Amino acid sequence: MAAKPKIAVYWTGGCGGCDVSFLELGVALLDVLAQIEIVFWPALVDTKRADVESFAPRSIAATLVNGTLRTEENVEMVHLLREKSQLVVAFGACAYQGGVPGLANLASREDILHRMSTNGFHPTPPPGGEREDAPPELLPQAKSLADEIAVDYVVPGCPPMPPLIGLLFDALLSGDLPAPSHVFAHDKALCEECPRTREDRVLSKVVRPHELIPDPKVCLLDQGMICMGPVIRGGCGAACPKAGMPCTGCVGPTPNAGDPGLAMISALGSLVRAGEEGPGAFAAEDKLLDALVDPLGTFYKYSLPAYVRTGRRSNR
Amino acid sequence: MGRGPRIGVFVCHCGKNIATTVDVPRVVEALARHPGVAYAARHEYMCSDPGQDVVKKAIKDHRLTGVVVAACSPSMHETTFRNAAEEAGLNPYLVEIANIREWCSWVHDGPVTTDKAIRITRAMVEKVKGNHPLEPVEVGHAVKCLVVGGGISGIQAALDIADAGYEVLLVERSPSIGGRMAQLSETFPTLDCSQCILTPKMVEASRHPRIRLLTYSEVESVTGYLGNYHVTIRKKPTYVDPDKCNLCGDCARVCPVRVPSEFDQGLSERAAIYVPFPQAVPSSYTLDEVNCLGLNPLRCSECSKVCTVGAINYDMREERIEEDVGAIVLATGYDLYGKEMMGEYGHGTVPDVIDGLEFERILSAGGPTKGEVRRPSDGKVPKEVVFIQCSGSRDPELHKSYCSKICCMYTAKHALLYRHNVHDGTAYVFYIDIRAGGKEYEEFVVRAMEDERILYLRGKVAKVFRDGDKVVVWGVDTLTGKRIEVAADLVVLAQAMVPSAGTEELARKLHIACGGEGFLKEAHPKLRPLEALTAGIFLAGAAHGPKDIPEAVAQGSGAAAKAIAILASPTLTHSPEVAEVDEDLCSGCAVCVPQCPYGAITPGDVAHVNELLCEGCGTCVAACPSGAMRMKNQTDAQVKRMIQVALGGEPVEVSRG
Repeated sequence: MAAKPKIAVYWTGGCGGCDVSFLELGVALLDVLAQIEIVFWPALVDTKRADVESFAPRSIAATLVNGTLRTEENVEMVHLLREKSQLVVAFGACAYQGGVPGLANLASREDILHRMSTNGFHPTPPPGGEREDAPPELLPQAKSLADEIAVDYVVPGCPPMPPLIGLLFDALLSGDLPAPSHVFAHDKALCEECPRTREDRVLSKVVRPHELIPDPKVCLLDQGMICMGPVIRGGCGAACPKAGMPCTGCVGPTPNAGDPGLAMISALGSLVRAGEEGPGAFAAEDKLLDALVDPLGTFYKYSLPAYVRTGRRSNR
Repeated sequence: MGRGPRIGVFVCHCGKNIATTVDVPRVVEALARHPGVAYAARHEYMCSDPGQDVVKKAIKDHRLTGVVVAACSPSMHETTFRNAAEEAGLNPYLVEIANIREWCSWVHDGPVTTDKAIRITRAMVEKVKGNHPLEPVEVGHAVKCLVVGGGISGIQAALDIADAGYEVLLVERSPSIGGRMAQLSETFPTLDCSQCILTPKMVEASRHPRIRLLTYSEVESVTGYLGNYHVTIRKKPTYVDPDKCNLCGDCARVCPVRVPSEFDQGLSERAAIYVPFPQAVPSSYTLDEVNCLGLNPLRCSECSKVCTVGAINYDMREERIEEDVGAIVLATGYDLYGKEMMGEYGHGTVPDVIDGLEFERILSAGGPTKGEVRRPSDGKVPKEVVFIQCSGSRDPELHKSYCSKICCMYTAKHALLYRHNVHDGTAYVFYIDIRAGGKEYEEFVVRAMEDERILYLRGKVAKVFRDGDKVVVWGVDTLTGKRIEVAADLVVLAQAMVPSAGTEELARKLHIACGGEGFLKEAHPKLRPLEALTAGIFLAGAAHGPKDIPEAVAQGSGAAAKAIAILASPTLTHSPEVAEVDEDLCSGCAVCVPQCPYGAITPGDVAHVNELLCEGCGTCVAACPSGAMRMKNQTDAQVKRMIQVALGGEPVEVSRG
């Protein structure tokens, strides 16, 4: 019997949801676990950085990294894991394009630290501790995994959905690997999977989810909810729209969409009709779109570091 | 191909148009060094035969895989050079024009001009590198034409097309063809009786073996595309069999209903069963369902009882006529801007303030007063009549900004005919300017002013109001600076011309555009005045803008010639430079569908583009959220590369003496 492939799972600046998402595989997880050897997974097994350092280069078959890169320690660890791994997979929205923690890039590091501790936050060792026990330095900006190291594959989602995780393990365990940079999701947009009907393709108002109990059958965008579905890859089974919530884009944009915010702005600009014709139409449409609060957080909820260049201005 | 692109670049001097501000040899030199360019040359006039020969020879000698002609706008000579390339064996869609005249030499001077010309040309070279050879789309077509509107313009178009040997469907909304011209008394400047010159054409249209007349009918829907329009026409029931009706009029005499006559502009009454005017075509009565006391259940049926020929049939049903047509002529005509909009002239509430068409009916021998000039309120012969020109026209603040073009002429005619009719009457005309451009038009106005002693007062009327049985007009004569007050018996407003009711709705059904004032919009104001932007749809008469009779007739004939060109061609071709869907990427979100101004996209699991309907505008490509929609030979990758090349690199140093 051939040796089981060695797998590592690591978390950087994440919420832990990606680690938990493996459980969503249910019984299938037992089959997967039986076929792999976990060599490093801080959330699950007691392994330390020193263990990883002792591994031979490229001895890990695949490392799955979840979380955004936020600290210097995150960066050191992913470089270490890259060296020891044949494949590195960005697992989840944070590792893929920065994720929700990436929205912090709208504020400077100094502002963030000031807000956490009004006197300013200085990483210091705990009482009686050594200097290396101090919390690691925060990076100036949150980064996606690909900003630091080469990424072979992506399993997107916040957290990744079981069918997409399944696709990854099918590929890893069968050895039938897709082309580099493959994203384990659909190339077509989510609308393909969405059972809602699209008839009157006009955006005549903008509402937030808490302002409307949507019609259960009609496209949410047609009802005024800013659903990212037309821009975002399918593969999630349109879980959110099916439940009456607009897609917020966790699976990331389709391969040809480019910048998801720009694609969405272009689509909304095409669909918006304020019901006014003639010279006043543009102003009326602008006003209608003003109801869209937090455009950056809407369009780039999971991808701000990947698409939006943010300054280092301090608000203080 | 296979060994990389071999692009030929041909730079035109355009005499001095380009060469004065662009250093043409420098452009040739720079492009010759550009990657992928196998040959670069220049010519005084690239579009001339010798110039085209340079292109053709180079294609063969240098085995070119693409051509860029740096010259004038592609709307000028794109076809010229694509045809030349095809003759030399190169697919025409591998030829592109770099516009270094309108975009560059005409609008800049100094050394930047040459630099910009080089950048524009380089960008087009990059585009051509990404082009694929394409074949025009060929399609068969129907050999019938739809003409919408039975006024003089539509009648003329229908007759010309039918005379050329093609079937015509002539659709008219009202019970008779004839349109506005049938309502007029006499025509300027010859004072021909309007009906006398119109009715022969009406009769000819009704008798023509290839014209199918559909009166009392409206276009319900239009689908399809150039050469293959599928039209559905709704023909309302007239409840009278036109073949049996002998126009005896007994039915109308016994009908208990009286409503204002549309034909007489409300100045007389008609029954619910009526013929709009004696020479109506088809010559038959029409039972107006809306005003009849009741058909279902029958409330009256007096008309049927007296009809000795049994022409009246209360069971007549609405008909739906579906036809395939190759071309469509729109001649839907005009209405007058409502008097009720004229607050300064009494909001249309003063009975003796009438509009031009009402005065036409009063002057008309077949009109409500049998051609005697009598005013509506009390039937008296008006001794002082004020004509107000530009009523609602040339008034961007309150009304319409445009000139309605025919009012100067018909007001002169009105005043003149009034003076012929009432010898001791006085006619005043308030005008802003007199616009009498047309054959013998100026002479006609001069005749009105001088021979007929009509008082022309240059100025606007500030207010019109009723005082006893007089209508008082306050105005200013700007030539003498004096305030003028006339206690008139009748005021005639030369109301602005507006598109007929329903024009915009029809335009929407046909996916064609209306201009800001609602008139149907032409494809090009100078060079394509008869065509809508959608291929195969043509415009005629006042639906396109204010026009007089000769212009409406000329445009009707012109539109007919355009339609015949389609009907007569064996097959039609359509440009292959259209949008296409990447079915592997399209999610069927249908964001593109309402964006298409031509209705070319059908939603579904994946969107489908009808390449015969698509005009290649690219709106869907911009709207597509997932980048699944692409323009053939104009992909995002090509555009990005063009931008990179146009904006990249160091400016070219040019020293000029």
